[in-house]
Parts: sequence; C-alpha cells; structure tokens
Amino acid sequence: MAYILVVEDEQPISDLITMNLKLVGHTYSKAYSGPEAIERLGRERTDLILLDVMLPGLDGFEVMQQIHHLRIPVILITARNALADRIKGFELGADDYIIKPFEILELLARINVVLRRNEVTAASFVCDDVEVRFPERQVRVDQVPVDLTAREFELLEVLIRNRNIALSREKLLELAWGYDYAGDTRTVDVHIRQLRKKLGWEERIKTVFKLGYRLEVQV
Amino acid sequence: MRFWHKILLAVITLFIAALDISVIMVMKKSWQLNMESETRRAASEQLLIANNIFENLDSIRARGNPLTPVLLASVAESYGDYYGKQGIGLELRENGRLIYPGAGERNAAVQEVQLIRMSMPLPAPYQQLELTYTRDISGLHRQQRELNRFFVMINWISGPVLALLLFLMIKRLTKPLKELSETTKTIAEGDYSNRVNLHSKDEFGEVAVNFNRMASVVEQRMNELSDMAEEKQRMVDNLAHELRTPLTSMQGFAELLTSANIGREDQMKAGSYIRSETLRLKNLAFKLLDLSVLRHHPLVLTEVDVARLFETVVQTEQLQLTGNGIPLETDCSIRRVWGDADLLAAYLVNLIDNAIRASAAGSQVRLLAYEQDGEAVLEVSDSGSGMTAEQCKQAFEPFYRADPARSRVYGNAGLGLSLCRQIAEAHEARVGLNSVPGEGTTVRIFLQLFNN
Repeated sequence: MAYILVVEDEQPISDLITMNLKLVGHTYSKAYSGPEAIERLGRERTDLILLDVMLPGLDGFEVMQQIHHLRIPVILITARNALADRIKGFELGADDYIIKPFEILELLARINVVLRRNEVTAASFVCDDVEVRFPERQVRVDQVPVDLTAREFELLEVLIRNRNIALSREKLLELAWGYDYAGDTRTVDVHIRQLRKKLGWEERIKTVFKLGYRLEVQV
Repeated sequence: MRFWHKILLAVITLFIAALDISVIMVMKKSWQLNMESETRRAASEQLLIANNIFENLDSIRARGNPLTPVLLASVAESYGDYYGKQGIGLELRENGRLIYPGAGERNAAVQEVQLIRMSMPLPAPYQQLELTYTRDISGLHRQQRELNRFFVMINWISGPVLALLLFLMIKRLTKPLKELSETTKTIAEGDYSNRVNLHSKDEFGEVAVNFNRMASVVEQRMNELSDMAEEKQRMVDNLAHELRTPLTSMQGFAELLTSANIGREDQMKAGSYIRSETLRLKNLAFKLLDLSVLRHHPLVLTEVDVARLFETVVQTEQLQLTGNGIPLETDCSIRRVWGDADLLAAYLVNLIDNAIRASAAGSQVRLLAYEQDGEAVLEVSDSGSGMTAEQCKQAFEPFYRADPARSRVYGNAGLGLSLCRQIAEAHEARVGLNSVPGEGTTVRIFLQLFNN
C-alpha cells in the first residue's frame, strides 16, 4: 500500500493515526514539528502527507509552501473549522481537509480517495490463495478466476481497504452500496455469506458480535 | 448652496448697497452745497450790481438829469454788457415793465440752460425799479452729470473686482473647512489613522485640534476593541483546539478498541491514552471552572502568613523540583500580607511550574517576598529560556503557550498565567512580568501589607 508521513505534534493523535494506518496495511513515518517534516520529506519517498495545521516550528501552511515543489498529496488535519482556514489550505494545494475530532473510518476513506486520485493505490491484494486485482476488478482463487457480482466486488474492496477494522452493516451499506441505498441491512449478511463461500474466507471475514464484519489479515 | 457661495453673495450685496447709498448721499449733499454757494454768490453779486446802479443813478440825479427810461436802459446796458461777458444776465423793470431786457438773448435761444434767476428792487428812492439777475449754472449741472456717469462706471468696475477678491479671500479662509470635511469623510469611511493637518490659531485650528483628539480617542478605542476581539478569537480557537485534541484521541482509541483487530499491547496503549486524555480534559474543565469562579465571586481577603504560604508551595512543588533537578531558593523578609492563602498558593505554584518548564536542570528558581514602596512583593524568577516582548504581551491570555511543542509534553493547557492574572485581579493587585530571551523570567505580584 502507500507510504504515509504523519505530521502531528500531539503524541496521542499521532499514535492513533499510525495504529490505524498499520491496521489497513499502510506504512508510515512520523514527524512532530514542521521542520522535522520537511527534513523527512527530503530523505524519504512519500506517497501522502497527513499534516496538522497547528505545529511547532512551522505551521502546516508554511510547511505546504515549502514542500510545494515535491508535488506530494496532502490531507490537512486541524482543530479549526474556520472557512478561511479551509480555503487557505485548498489554495495552497491541499487535496483534502479533515477536522478534529474525526472518525477513523472517515480519515481512512479520505486517504483512499486521495491515493486513488493520485494513482498510488496498490493494484492488487493477496491473502492466502486469494488474489484481488482492483483495476481489472478480478478475483482469483488458486489462479482460477472467480465470478463476483459488481456489488460483491464493491463489498470486498471496502473490506480490504478497511481491513482489521470492524464495519457495521450500516457502514458497509453506506460504503459499498452508496448513501442513497434504501435496502435492508440483511442484504449485507447475504452478500457476506456469498463472499465467504466464493473465496473460502469463512475464517477471514469475522462476524464481530453486536457490531458487524471485519476482514482479519495478519499485520 | 455652499457656505462660501452664501458669504460671497451676502458680502457683495451688502457692500455694493452700502457703497452706493453712501456715494449717492455724498453726491446729493455736495450738489446741495454747490447750489447754496452758487446762490449766495449770485445774491451778493446781484446786491453789488444793484448798489452800483443805485450810485450811478444817484450821481445822475445829483447832476440834475431826469431819470428817463432810455437813460435807465443805457445805465443798465453798460452793466449788462460787462456782466454779460461773465455769463450773467441782467434785466431791469420799472413797475413791472421791462425797460432793459438784458444783453445775451442768444444764450437763452440756442439751448436749454440751467439758470439761477433772482429779482430784487433797487434801494429807495428807486424802489419802483426791479433788477433781475440770472446766472448760468449749466456748468454745475454738467459736472454733476459727469460725476453720475463716473459713479455708475465705478460701480460696474468695482463690482466684479470686489467679487473676484472676495472669491479668492473666502476660498482661502474656508480652505481649512474643506480639509476638515475631507478628513472626516475618510475617517467616516473607516480610516481611523487619518488626522487633520491644520495649524492655524483661529477657530478652525481649535476645531482641528479637538477633532484630532477625538479621532485619536476613537482610533485607540477601535484598536482596543479589535485587540479584544482578536484575543477572544484566539481564545476560542485555542479552546477549540484544547477540546478537540483530547476528544479526537478518546473517540479514536475507543473506536480502535471496539472495532479493530489489534493485539494486547496496542489495546493497553489505547486504553492508557483514553485515560490520560480524559485526565487532560478534566484538568482543562476544572481550570476553566476555577477561572470562571474567580471571575464571578468576590474574594474575602484575610491575613496570610507569608512564611507558611511559602512552606505550602514548596511542599507542593518539591517532587517536581527534585524530579527536574532544579533547586529552589526562598527568601522571605515580610511576615504577613492581605490575601487568600489558597489562591496565593495556587498562584505561586502555577508560576513555579512555568519556571520549572522554562529552566534546564541545575538552573535555579527563586521565590522571594519583600517590601517595596509600602507594598508587599511576591516574586518568582528563573534563569530559563525567557520570552520575547511579543510573547510577553500574550502570555496572560488563556491557552497561550510560549513554546507549544515543549509545554504540551507536560500536558498543560496554557491556562496557568491566565489563572494567575485572574487571582491577581481578584486581589486587586498588579502583576509585573519581566522576561529576556535566554536570560530568564521574573513575575512579581504587588499585594497589600497586612499592617497597613
């Protein structure tokens, strides 16, 4: 997956973000101040920056100005919800903007959108004998192509992108079916059952009690 | 109609009216005087001629000649010829019958002439004879007409000249008014730094001085207001940050614990973060509460024993001080002050916390109490990193941190000095902050001595 630089001076939030990045298979490095971020960017090839605005040394906007030439996608993270701040962020070339407090799933979804837009998402995902190729929307088990319906593939992609995190049936409906889908949450159960059967993932796709489903993959 | 239009019109009208009326009156008077003197002259000349004729007639009578009309006419003629050359006409009548009609008939015939005409009888015994004297005064009339023409001409010329001069003068005099008006306009449009540039000593100057004074007061107030608004905005931003940051962690780690497939170690980490962030939020809430309570409840000041106060403070801070390897020197030369012991202890503890954060291990922190100009001074000073003048200015604002990266490691919200300011205000005491970057910071509070 992607290599992400997390620039955040609050230790708890920095840890929170990186723990989640690790869960879904991203690699990362951390910086706790503006100058440290710039120094790291000079050394490491980075796919995406998660940048806090209020930073010691240089603030997030100043960091953006200095790294503009590197053309690395940036998602700004800030506690300030001022419109002027958001506009300034986008003017400086931020790809997205997320306001504290945020939900982790939302952050991961935004990260995926930015990565896909910048074409740095992994083209395939392999686990056990299952290989998922995203551009071709193909799934092979033991090199043998498996037929998935469009909805089943969407659901599989959502599970893979948010692996190791439990997703409620409602969340899955929202992410795989779209906001306007007015179906029953039992639809999700039906599709999950299909996926488990077709991929032989009875153990991988766990039912989390009272919550939903989780694709469990070794980190 | 502009002000200067009004002045111009009023002054021109008044001036021309006054000029004309006075000139007309002068001319009238002079005409009257001329006429009088001419009449007097005519009367005396007439008298002279009458006397001469009388004497002639007397001498003729003495020689025994009868006074026939022909003789009378010839006598009159001799005078008439002589005076006729001077423009004076004579007529002689006997009992109303004209016996000498005068020399210069031609004059009367040629053109209309203005004449003075006077008749008088000769002295007795020739009272049946009447001498009529006429004098040509058309010269005088001509002169008067000439004067009239001249006067009208002067009017035509002086009117515009006066208008022009008045225009220039009024323009000059009302220039300050224009300047004032333009400056007020820019100020009304929001440029409060503008001033009237006027140094005359008249009423305009006075208005300008007062106006400038008003403008600077307004500007000052506006600056104060915008500073206050900025401070409020900063405080709201900071409060948002202080609330959102722990909330984000708590929410995120709770989500992680409930929904993610994580190992035992990560679970522990998430749990401890939730606990520490909850504590942080609790601290923040309590500090904010303290601030609010201080603001709304008046304090009852009592006698505070300074030595005991210092003891309490040192006890509270002992662990922190030794943990950071920072020695604390105390020196107390006053015994008692007016105050609230708990709040003063909180005040000193906050300051010593700050001093410890600013100091490197081994650098000393001093806690002093002494008397200065009749006031009790409690002083906390360190030889730590210090602050710039800019930082000092904001230091007492809620949530302000001189060094955000460093302070946050200690989990403080940046409310310490803000609380200190509130405590000082509750004591109605001044707080002095002296700081030099690289040399250290000194904070003094000026309290009332107890024996006062």
